[in-house]
Amino acid sequence: MAPAPYLVFDGVAKYFGDLEVVAPSFNLTIRRNEFVVFLGPSGSGKTTLMRMVGGLETPSVGEIRLDGQPIGAPDRERGMVFQSYSSFPWLTVSENVAYGMKYRNDMTPERKKKRLDHYLELVGLTDFADFYPNKVSGGMRQRIAIARTLAAGSEVLLMDEPFGALDAQRREGLQLELRRIHRQDAKTIIFVTHDVDEAVFLADRIVVFSNRPARMLEDVDISAELGPDRTIALRDSEQFFKLRTRILRMVRAATGEEEKV
Amino acid sequence: MTIIKATVSAAPHAPAANAAPTPRPQRRTAPRNQFFAFRGTLSKRAKILTAIGATLFVLGVWELLTRLGLINATFLPPPSVTLETLWNMILHKNLLMHAGISTLRIWVAFALAVIMAVPIGIAMSSFRGVGAALEPIVDFIRYLPVPALVPLSIIWFGVGETTKIFLLWLGTFFQLVLLVADDMRRVPQEYVEISYTVGARPRQMLSDVAFRAMLPSLFDNLRITLGWCWTYLIIAEIVAADTGLGFVIWAARRYMNTSEVMAGVVAIGLIGLVTDQILRLVHKRLFRYL
Repeated sequence: MAPAPYLVFDGVAKYFGDLEVVAPSFNLTIRRNEFVVFLGPSGSGKTTLMRMVGGLETPSVGEIRLDGQPIGAPDRERGMVFQSYSSFPWLTVSENVAYGMKYRNDMTPERKKKRLDHYLELVGLTDFADFYPNKVSGGMRQRIAIARTLAAGSEVLLMDEPFGALDAQRREGLQLELRRIHRQDAKTIIFVTHDVDEAVFLADRIVVFSNRPARMLEDVDISAELGPDRTIALRDSEQFFKLRTRILRMVRAATGEEEKV
Repeated sequence: MTIIKATVSAAPHAPAANAAPTPRPQRRTAPRNQFFAFRGTLSKRAKILTAIGATLFVLGVWELLTRLGLINATFLPPPSVTLETLWNMILHKNLLMHAGISTLRIWVAFALAVIMAVPIGIAMSSFRGVGAALEPIVDFIRYLPVPALVPLSIIWFGVGETTKIFLLWLGTFFQLVLLVADDMRRVPQEYVEISYTVGARPRQMLSDVAFRAMLPSLFDNLRITLGWCWTYLIIAEIVAADTGLGFVIWAARRYMNTSEVMAGVVAIGLIGLVTDQILRLVHKRLFRYL
């Protein structure tokens, strides 16, 4: 039984002038609340696909639909978390999170305040509410961005290598946190990365991409193998290691690194 | 020089202090070397002392050269005489009034330039069409020497205040507009996209995010162009003026009164120094988050 489609890429292709970024024809169906990782080499066009969901690019061919509606201009329904410049330096942590609700006229100030406190708490930034971003760690800055998109009321989170600039420990901590947030405050997430470890740990489902132009090479159901709960212990398990190796082989094959090894 | 040599030769003795586990003692032995270390650090006190020391050194050499007769004091009066003249001009020749009038002219012209350059500059980098239309014109005028436009300016505006303000404006506006455009261009695309994806309209994005993001560098560029504005003062105030520091300097020149010329120049320099320091302080206060 196939679950109801939520986010649908329907025959998509993308060209920048003569440059083919997404090869025709890209088809993918994502379920509501699914955590999908786009895994592939840098510059492969996976980010472009994600940006099209955000409405920041438009497909040259085909259509992307969310809940049956074609995607148009950017909207708070689909929030972005970038790798860098992910928060505004002139706003405090709490002002940054509150910025997500700035243009929402459908909420009373009391309601906004309540939501603000809730999401600060959810990402563990309550104690740093009045700090400016330059005074908190890179990991906290990424949490600001996550809380902002959640506060904005985004149903789809589009994350472009959000942990790419962090050190290994912070990365691991935030990955755990993101999984927890995903379970607690269920959203549909598209997470772009080239880190296999990260992909396997986070994903319900991994889509493996080729070099540019982007083509879907594999579509792996991770939750079927690892289940929905991700813990530090899982990371050290043989099951995780085997799966990671399998995915790594796929990526190597995709980028043609296999021959060099 | 002797100080520097002393620290270099002292270095071999330093390990004793370095052996301590805390970084403090190391720092105590290091600072003098920091003087010439590429991008080294310098304490605030050392910075101020260096600035004062260097200034006094230049003044001392200058004083000495003229006192020893190596330079004719008629052409370059020593600093002591210049300062004395400056004081006398304040007391007897209304120098403060002239300085005030010049400052007022500068600020009026500068304010006009800012009011026009900020929106136009922002529009130039935000909208391709506006940029394409204005860039050639701005670049052309930007390269014109302001003195070359004095005759035109007199024909257009006569010899009153308008000409003076126009010339000062001319020297700043066209430089500023490109700097503003550049500031806006450097606002990270991520900020713009964050704004759109939380539901901002283009106008809200511009005022709440893009403008706010460019503000620190805009402020810096305003501070710098204000300085450029002062450099056109003489040109603006030699045209049929009977007030202002430019007039004072130009009038003193006519009588070969070098010390008064120097005093006028020093007055401009001092105003610039004070203004710049104040604006730096304001920048620090306004943009604490940087």
